Amino acid sequence: MKKIIFTTVLCLFISSLGHSQSFKTEEGKATFYSKVPLHSFEGNSENLVGFIDLDEKTVDFYIDLETLDTGNGKRDKDMKLTLETKKYPFAEFFGKLVSDFDPESSAIQDVTVRGTFKIHGVEKEIEVEGTLQMKDNGLHVTAGWILSLLDYKIEPPQILFIKVDKEQEIKIDALLKPVDG
Amino acid sequence: MRKSIATLLFSFFMTSLVSAQLERKRANPDGPVAETFLTKNIAGLGTVQLLGKGDLNSMIQHNFGDVRGGIETFFGVDEGANVRIAFGYGLTDDLNIGIGRTSREDNIDFSIDYRILHQTKLDRIPVSVVLKGNTGIRTQKESFGLTFQERLNYLGSVMIARKFSDNFSFQVSLMVSHFNTVVKTKQDSELYNTVYGLGFAGRFKINERKSISFEYLPVIGDKITDTKNHAALVYELETGGHVFQMFFMSGRWFTEQHLLTRTETDFLEPNFRFGFNVNRVFGLL
Repeated sequence: MKKIIFTTVLCLFISSLGHSQSFKTEEGKATFYSKVPLHSFEGNSENLVGFIDLDEKTVDFYIDLETLDTGNGKRDKDMKLTLETKKYPFAEFFGKLVSDFDPESSAIQDVTVRGTFKIHGVEKEIEVEGTLQMKDNGLHVTAGWILSLLDYKIEPPQILFIKVDKEQEIKIDALLKPVDG
Repeated sequence: MRKSIATLLFSFFMTSLVSAQLERKRANPDGPVAETFLTKNIAGLGTVQLLGKGDLNSMIQHNFGDVRGGIETFFGVDEGANVRIAFGYGLTDDLNIGIGRTSREDNIDFSIDYRILHQTKLDRIPVSVVLKGNTGIRTQKESFGLTFQERLNYLGSVMIARKFSDNFSFQVSLMVSHFNTVVKTKQDSELYNTVYGLGFAGRFKINERKSISFEYLPVIGDKITDTKNHAALVYELETGGHVFQMFFMSGRWFTEQHLLTRTETDFLEPNFRFGFNVNRVFGLL
């Protein structure tokens, strides 16, 4: 019995050491697009942090919302006020890869992830379509989905100067580098 | 023994779960502080709060006669307003330019603000420092007897400010004003072309939309006869699109070079006037 337990513990220990199929970035790109008549704009951040473990099939992404830049100081300030970034500084996703992915292929592969997206203190289960591509220098990820502000209790800032759509298109693009095991 | 092994196993299991999720870290924890003050001006004194790149601020500043006129002048309102209309623009986050016109003496002024230090959240840089220059020219008909050069006035200012907490900011300005022409109104007046002064400003934030601010501009050294140190007490209200500032101020002007040299009423006498500023920022980019 003791031998079995010892072996199990050893296996767990070794498995926790080995992360040969893990990939990480702190420089991913996230973009949101706001489209209303006569006033469309986009916000960008290059501080998207992401981690994908192909063994565990886990996908983890987060972004510091204060790094989003719309190219206009007043609009940035209004956006941070609306998202209450002092109280809720991150937008984050944690979930599982639910479709197959062949890490041996270098082709672009369509994938689906399912998990929890959290912003403005509100969590929702979502499913996101995206692509994964194994490259020589890492794992390239793209994904996009529509975020409904009302779902996350984000009040469109009607009294503010900037009009925003109630639905925002979100896109991410990141090259995740292999994590040394 | 079994219990401790179970605990060990459970710990490994939990660790493997938790390690799958990254620790959330702020991207730039020592980034620049935001909103040391609500706007570029308190009442008349400039602040280190600059416009972001691409922001255009339109500002209308008014004040009236002094409140000692009582009900007969409706506490100064009937005496007519001094109005300054101004526009400021953020060329970059650290470099702003502006133009303004004051109804008194039809003074048109041009300003430039350049931030050389921006306070950071973890105090790597403990203060914000902004250099300001302003040049004004009298354009009213009565001044046409003077040459272009003689009608000019100037301000140089070094503004040093610190946001001590979310709710309190304080600023000290080191100022020098210069008028190419000064006019004697009394035989025994002491006049100076160049006057030095300090500017003190503070902001107490009540909530995200409201704050109480003040400014005080004592003259240092030579002071023009019969002038007083300017002061103002301001209630600020941000509605989202606009920032309204309602105040009692002793000075009649909204440009610092004039506040240092033309203020004739003493706030603590008490003698001051009612005024208000309306700021509106437009994003041009």
